[in-house]
Amino acid sequence: MTNTANPTLRLPFERPDALTAPPLYEQLRREGPVVRVLTPAGDPAWLVTTFDAAREVFRDSRFGRSHPAPERAARITGAALLDGPSGNYETEERDHKRMRRMLAPAFSAPRMRRLGDRIRELTLGCLDDMQAAHDARPGEPVDIQEVLAFPLPVLVICELLGVPYADRALFRDFSERISDYDGGADAQLAMAEFNAYVAGLVAAKRTAPAPDVISDLIAAQAEDPTFTDEELIRLATGLLFAGHETTSNRISVGVLFLLSDPGRRDRFVADPDGQVESTVEEILRLASSGGTGMVRYAHQDVEIAGVPIACGDAVLIAIDSANRDAAAFTAPEEFDPGRQPNLHVGFGYGAYVCIGANLARTELRTVFPLLFGRFPGLRLAVDLGDIEMRSNRLAGGVTSVPVLW
Amino acid sequence: MRLTADTTTCVASGQCAMLAPETFGQRADDGTVILLNSEPPADQRDTARQAALICPSGAIQIVEPD
Repeated sequence: MTNTANPTLRLPFERPDALTAPPLYEQLRREGPVVRVLTPAGDPAWLVTTFDAAREVFRDSRFGRSHPAPERAARITGAALLDGPSGNYETEERDHKRMRRMLAPAFSAPRMRRLGDRIRELTLGCLDDMQAAHDARPGEPVDIQEVLAFPLPVLVICELLGVPYADRALFRDFSERISDYDGGADAQLAMAEFNAYVAGLVAAKRTAPAPDVISDLIAAQAEDPTFTDEELIRLATGLLFAGHETTSNRISVGVLFLLSDPGRRDRFVADPDGQVESTVEEILRLASSGGTGMVRYAHQDVEIAGVPIACGDAVLIAIDSANRDAAAFTAPEEFDPGRQPNLHVGFGYGAYVCIGANLARTELRTVFPLLFGRFPGLRLAVDLGDIEMRSNRLAGGVTSVPVLW
Repeated sequence: MRLTADTTTCVASGQCAMLAPETFGQRADDGTVILLNSEPPADQRDTARQAALICPSGAIQIVEPD
């Protein structure tokens, strides 16, 4: 194992199409579970490529999001989120635990189950809009992204957090700019604008609290004065971003998976309710989660799979590679909607596992049966190869999914 | 089958309670796991086993297999 990165191994790696992972991952998994790469920003980092090593690093408390000397840390991208270290090295574990305790009830399984009917209602509204778009221009493709994949998760997260849906164009713009790997100064500016927007919401809710998560966070702050305004705003901004970008991409890519093979679509249409849970897990396993993987910094000298990692080194956990590791999944490149068990790390793993996993599952399990129940003859209007990927964006995804029926 | 759930390692992701609501619940105040039934009946063991496998913190253990 050499300690110098091969300059050709610079993230994000090329992908042949929106449903396929970079072929380079397979080659790297053969080289070892931990390999040296360059981040999109050009700094050296360790890339964790295998399922076992990914779960090991996710679970290992010697890795965190903060850095002992942030100014010397490897930079990941030029975006304004997950672009480098975050949080306070001294207090990260405590801060993170507090955050989880505060938020977990709002995203708990019982709460998500109660939200199910409302998500169903919102989905049906989106499907009406989808039909209306079709009727307005008969024979023209309709972009699933615009009528369903973007609006639905935004409607849901707006209601949960207490954010006006009318402001969606505003925070969509912020979200796109903060997550651009080449964003640089504009990404930072967009982040400042995003935080200022959220600060306005927080101020309004301080005087007029409502039954929503931002008001809950404000209430939690009253009981814990060490939870600063800045942390509260950063957290609410992060939830608004993550709550729509990630699920939105899974809806778009899920539709692509089901439509890119007509037989696959027909098998799903034949029994959507019976197949949806395992189909959604397979979408979560294979949908690209962005080109850098999840960032961690070593908080001490660590050895992973025989590779020594020095304190402060950046470690990127390649979820997309781990989820295609033949040591963990039979025929890993195959989309198998009946795969059992399916222990993917699409939501991460360990202490930082996605807090919105149950929300995402509830949305995805609602959307696919309703979509294909209403439009069983849905088909792609273009070839899969013509679907443009947003490879330069934190949450990945595609620019549009034009469909016909 | 007999299960244990360690609330100190639990990270309150609630994935168990989503998958196997007969066996696992979540505390209302902090979202951590509540083991509703440490010896699930035969028809609930598959989902309980799955829940133990997907638990992101390893808090759920199967201490006695069927």
